[in-house]
Amino acid sequence: MNRKCPIFENKRRIPRQIIDFTIANINPNHKINLIWLEACGCSGNIISLLNGENPDVIFLLKQMVNMTYNNSLMAQEGEAAFEKFLETLDTEFILVVEGAVSTKDNGLYNVIARYKEKLITGMEAVAMAGKKAKYVLAVGSCAAYGGPSAARPNPSLSKSVYDFLDREVIRVPGCPAHPRWVMGTLADIISFGKPILDEENRPVVFYGITIHDRCPRRAYFDKGIFAQKLGDKECMFKLGCRGPITKTDCPIRRWNNSINWPIGDNTPCIGCARNGFPDLMEPFVRY
Amino acid sequence: MGEKIVINPLTRISGFLEIEVYIENHIIKNAKSSGMLFRGFEKMLEGRPPLDAIYFTQRICGICSTAHSIASALALEDALKVVPNENDRMIRDMIHGCEFLQNHLRHFYQYTFPDYVKGPQINPLYKESHGDYRLPKIVDEKLSKHYIASIEYSRQAHKMLAILGGKAPHNHGVFVGGVTVNMNASIFIELKSIIASIKGFIENIMIEDVGIIAKYYSDYFHNGKGYGNFISYGVFDDDYNAPFIYVKPAVLRNDKRYPFDDKKITENIYYAWYKADQVNISPKEGYVETDRYKENAYSFIKAPRYDESPMEVGPLARLWLSGEYTRGVSTMDRTIARVLEAKKICNIIENLLTKIRLGPSNQQRYEIPNRAYGIGLKGTTRGALGHWLFIENQKIKKYTIITPTSWNTSPMDSNGVKGVIEKALIGTYVKDVKNPVEVGRIVRSFDPCVSCATHIMSNKYNSMTIRIV
Repeated sequence: MNRKCPIFENKRRIPRQIIDFTIANINPNHKINLIWLEACGCSGNIISLLNGENPDVIFLLKQMVNMTYNNSLMAQEGEAAFEKFLETLDTEFILVVEGAVSTKDNGLYNVIARYKEKLITGMEAVAMAGKKAKYVLAVGSCAAYGGPSAARPNPSLSKSVYDFLDREVIRVPGCPAHPRWVMGTLADIISFGKPILDEENRPVVFYGITIHDRCPRRAYFDKGIFAQKLGDKECMFKLGCRGPITKTDCPIRRWNNSINWPIGDNTPCIGCARNGFPDLMEPFVRY
Repeated sequence: MGEKIVINPLTRISGFLEIEVYIENHIIKNAKSSGMLFRGFEKMLEGRPPLDAIYFTQRICGICSTAHSIASALALEDALKVVPNENDRMIRDMIHGCEFLQNHLRHFYQYTFPDYVKGPQINPLYKESHGDYRLPKIVDEKLSKHYIASIEYSRQAHKMLAILGGKAPHNHGVFVGGVTVNMNASIFIELKSIIASIKGFIENIMIEDVGIIAKYYSDYFHNGKGYGNFISYGVFDDDYNAPFIYVKPAVLRNDKRYPFDDKKITENIYYAWYKADQVNISPKEGYVETDRYKENAYSFIKAPRYDESPMEVGPLARLWLSGEYTRGVSTMDRTIARVLEAKKICNIIENLLTKIRLGPSNQQRYEIPNRAYGIGLKGTTRGALGHWLFIENQKIKKYTIITPTSWNTSPMDSNGVKGVIEKALIGTYVKDVKNPVEVGRIVRSFDPCVSCATHIMSNKYNSMTIRIV
C-alpha cells in the first residue's frame, strides 16, 4: 500500500468514524430501560414471555429494551439486585408490572426485597416506580384487573395496578398475557409512542374484537349446534364459553407459537383476559 | 462474634424468598428461610364449583401450573369416582412430562447457570463477577451460548404441552376423566419431531454442561446435604410406562425405606404465621387463619412433616428412591439429578408415543355429588404435590394444597426440627463472608417455587449485626 497517497489517511479515518457512530447508536445504553416487576402473582407472565418467538426474549433484551430488573432472570441477588431497581428510577424507563398490588397489612403479604434492613413491599415498589416511569404496562390479568390474586374473598386485599396507581396505565391482560401482546405493545411504544387504546386502556390491535366474532366454531353457533361435553368439535357456548364477552385475538393469534389455543383443544374460553376473571367467569365449565 | 446475613430477593427462583444465615468463623451456624408472598388460594377455593379447581389452582404458579391441574384432576376423579381410560392417562402423562422438560431446562439454564457461568453479556442476565466464577473463558463462552440456545428448547417443551393442552402456562387440556385432545396423526408426528429435538439438546448439550459445572465446582458435592430423607408420591409409574416406569410412592427416612402412607402427612404451624386450635394439622381437618403477629413465628410457610420428619422432595429424591442415582446428597447431586431426570422424561415421552392410540378423547358430562372427598397426590417437577378436596352442597367446602416447595422450604416445627433448606445451609463453609455465593447456590439447587408456597414473614427484628447482600 502506498502510504504517501493523500486519501489514505481519510480512508483510514472515515470507516473509523462510521464504526464509532454506529457503535454509539447501537450502544445498549441507548435503548430505553425497562423494569419488569413481579408483584402479587404467579410469575407466569415472565414465563409466558420466554415462550415468545420472533421476537424472542433474547431479541427483546438485545435489540428492544435494556431490562435492568427482573426477579426471575437477573443475575444479581439481594441488595445488589434491588439497587438496579433503584438506579433505574432516575432514568427514562418503562415499568412492566405483573401480579396485583397486595395492600393487606400495608403490603406485607408481598415483600419483594430488603434494602438497608427495611422490607420493600410490592406495593411500595409499584408506587415508587409508577410515579417515575414514562410508561406503565399492567401485564397479565392480576396487574390489569386484579385477576386471580384478587379473587374473593381476596385474602391479600389485592388491587390492580390500574386501580392502585393514579396515572395512565396500559392494560395487557391475559392469564397469562400472550408474549406477542407484550412484545407488540412494547414495540409500539418504542417505535411509535403510545399505542391506540380502547376504553379500558388495552391496545386495540390485540384486544379489539371478541373471540366469538372470529371463532372458527362460529358456524356451529350460527346453526345452533352445540358441544355437549369437553372434547367435542362444536360450539362451546353451552358449556360456558366466554368467547362472546372476551376481547382478544386468540382465534387468529393462537398460543405457543400459534400451535393451538383452548378452543382448539376442545375446551371453552374461560375469559381469562377479561375484567372480572375469575369470579365473574364462573363456572368455567357447566353441562 | 458472628454475623447475620440476609439475602432478599433471592432472585432466579419463582416467587419471593428471603434467606437469613448466621455465620461464625466462616461456618453457617443457623439459617432461616421465609417465603415473601401470601395469596391464600385455599381460602379462595371455598365455595367455588368443584370442576373449576383444575383451571383455578393452576393460577397458583406460572412455571409449574400443569402440576396443579394434574393433582386437582386426580383429587376430583377420586371424589367423583371417575377413572380415565389408559390412553387418556398416557396423554396426560405426556402433558405432565412436557412441563418437566420446560421447568428443568429453564431452571438449569436461566436460574442455576448464572451462579456458575458468567453468561451472555445481556442485561439483566449477566453481572460482572461475584468473585467465584471458575470456568476458563473459552468454556464460559461456550456455556453462555447454551444459555441462549436453551430458550428455544424450553419454548418447544411448552409448545408440545400446548399441542395437547391448548396453551401453556395454564393449560386447558387436563381435565376430569383424562384429557380433551383428540389425537390424530398430525399431532402425533408433531410431538415426535419436537421431542426428538429436545432430547438431542438434552443428551448432547445439557448433560455435558452439568458435567462441566460439576468438574469446576466439585466442592459443591460436599455441601447442601440436608437430611437425606426423601419422599415421593409416585410419577410415571403406571404399567404402561414400561420399560421406563419411573418411581412409585416411597419414603426413605434415616436410610430406611418405608411404604408411603398419606395419613402420616401433617403440617406444623408452630413457627408459622397461622393460628389454629392445634399445632399439627392434618390436610383433612382443621382450618387456619393468618396471624402475622404470632410470637416466635418467622415464616408463613407451614412445615409439612411425614411422621414428624422433614422430607426432601424433587428430582434427587425421585432418582434416589427409584434406585437410579445414589452417588450422594449435595448441592451438585441435586443439580445433576434434575438434568438426568430431564433426559429420563424424554425417554418416557417417546415411549408413550409408541403406545398411544389415535382417536377421540373420552370426556363425559360429570355429575357433582352432594358430598364427597378426594385426594390427588403426584410427583411433579419440584417434588411431591398434594391436593385434598372436600365437596359439600356441590361446592368446594375445603381445599388443602401442600406443595413441594413447602416440604423443602419449611420453617422449624414445634419439635425444634429445621426445614430441609435450612438444614442444608447449616454447617456450610462460606469462603468469602462478604460474598456468600454458597447460600444462593445451595438454595437454588432445590428449585424453590415460592409462588406455590404462598406465604410471608415477620417485619420485626432483634438487634444484631445485620448485613444485607
